[in-house]
Amino acid sequence: MASLDPRVNRLPTVTESVSPKAPLDQFGTFEVFVQPKEGKSFQHEGIVHAPNLEMAYVLAKEAFTRRFTCVSLYVVDTRNVYVSPMTEGEKNSYDFIEDNPEAAGVKESFEIYHLAKRGKQHIHVGTVTASSPQEAMVSAKAKFNTGKVVYNVWIIPTDAIRFTTEEEKELWITLPEKKFRDASDYKGGDKLKDFLEKVK
Amino acid sequence: MNELALKELLYKMADDQLILGHRNSEWTGMGPLLEEDIAFSSMAQDKVGQSLALYTLLHQLGENEPDTVAFTRNANQFHNCVFVELPNQEYDFSLIRHFLFDTAEALRFDMLTHSSYEPLAQLATKIRGELRYHTLHANTWIKQLGSATPESIDRLQKSLEKAMPYALGIFEISPYETELISERIFEGEEKLMEKWMTKVESIISQTSLQLPDWKLVQPVMGGRFGKHSEHLQPLLDEMSEVFKIDPTAEW
Repeated sequence: MASLDPRVNRLPTVTESVSPKAPLDQFGTFEVFVQPKEGKSFQHEGIVHAPNLEMAYVLAKEAFTRRFTCVSLYVVDTRNVYVSPMTEGEKNSYDFIEDNPEAAGVKESFEIYHLAKRGKQHIHVGTVTASSPQEAMVSAKAKFNTGKVVYNVWIIPTDAIRFTTEEEKELWITLPEKKFRDASDYKGGDKLKDFLEKVK
Repeated sequence: MNELALKELLYKMADDQLILGHRNSEWTGMGPLLEEDIAFSSMAQDKVGQSLALYTLLHQLGENEPDTVAFTRNANQFHNCVFVELPNQEYDFSLIRHFLFDTAEALRFDMLTHSSYEPLAQLATKIRGELRYHTLHANTWIKQLGSATPESIDRLQKSLEKAMPYALGIFEISPYETELISERIFEGEEKLMEKWMTKVESIISQTSLQLPDWKLVQPVMGGRFGKHSEHLQPLLDEMSEVFKIDPTAEW
């Protein structure tokens, strides 16, 4: 380490030859989706850093489904998420998608997600088949655009997703008595009040 | 049912979970990356929760309250294997211990789902999701780091060799082995060790790591009979600090 000041350490080092840009010394990111209940849609829950898809799955499980009810989870490399234009107010993101004629090529499956409220999560709405993410966006518009404002659309190739297998769903069978995991169960405020009363 | 045999089994399992749960929780806030810190801490908490469930079964059989049992015994009254009390050292050692111990733990509880002691069979069924995650987590890390870089392979290999004599101490034969088997409470340490070796071999064979020759490893025994390393008492002192100042404290 050159200095204790991170700003100094971030300064580019002096070089004399043409060289490739050094990658950041950190893992890539993966998007985490959870299914809160059987029959409910998957929703985007957050992001984990991991060296690969399988590690991302393992780390996401405890980071995002530790306390709340959950029946399934999946992860995908952030680089496999294709996003539509982000809008606000009364503007529908789908209105910015131009209807292109279908392209030739091998069709594959894509998962579609809508952001229906700003500041909320993207929620899974369905699946389309297309030969590219761009074409999938057009298909999603035809299939899922009801005219109701959607602020943002995500498209993910189904094959890129690390799903939970039927058998792995037992991961969420745990001891039912999990109150000790809830901060509220420790009643910190009440204890502080009692203590302050005693001190008086 | 042979109650002495059953209690001995429950005590050693509960003590293993409590001590390793406490050890692993020492990584909280210091894990190698945030996501892993959360996962490892959460599994440590699972272990303490499982020890509470086992101490509760013991309480129903006439033993003291779980808190009393956990916080007031001295090191020589604990039945955990020496393996779980060893200090954490570097993360590679903790990961290897997590892999070797949790593989045995998951297999043990899986065998216990058929136990003739119904409350234990029920508990074993209840926690299988937690155990499945613990082994998924351990196997994924070992496969990842066991094949990643020369440094990661070398570090895991050294930890594996250091851990192995202690890991075999998990399977120290109980004085009630015959009773446990004949009364179908538990199929026995030998059977468990066989299954464990097969499972460990199947994971390690998917990496660049080398298992030592089982026959050449000298197991470190004694823990099940209260003979511990110098590392257990300081752990207990720290764990019971609050309880010893004020046994009625709630926190």
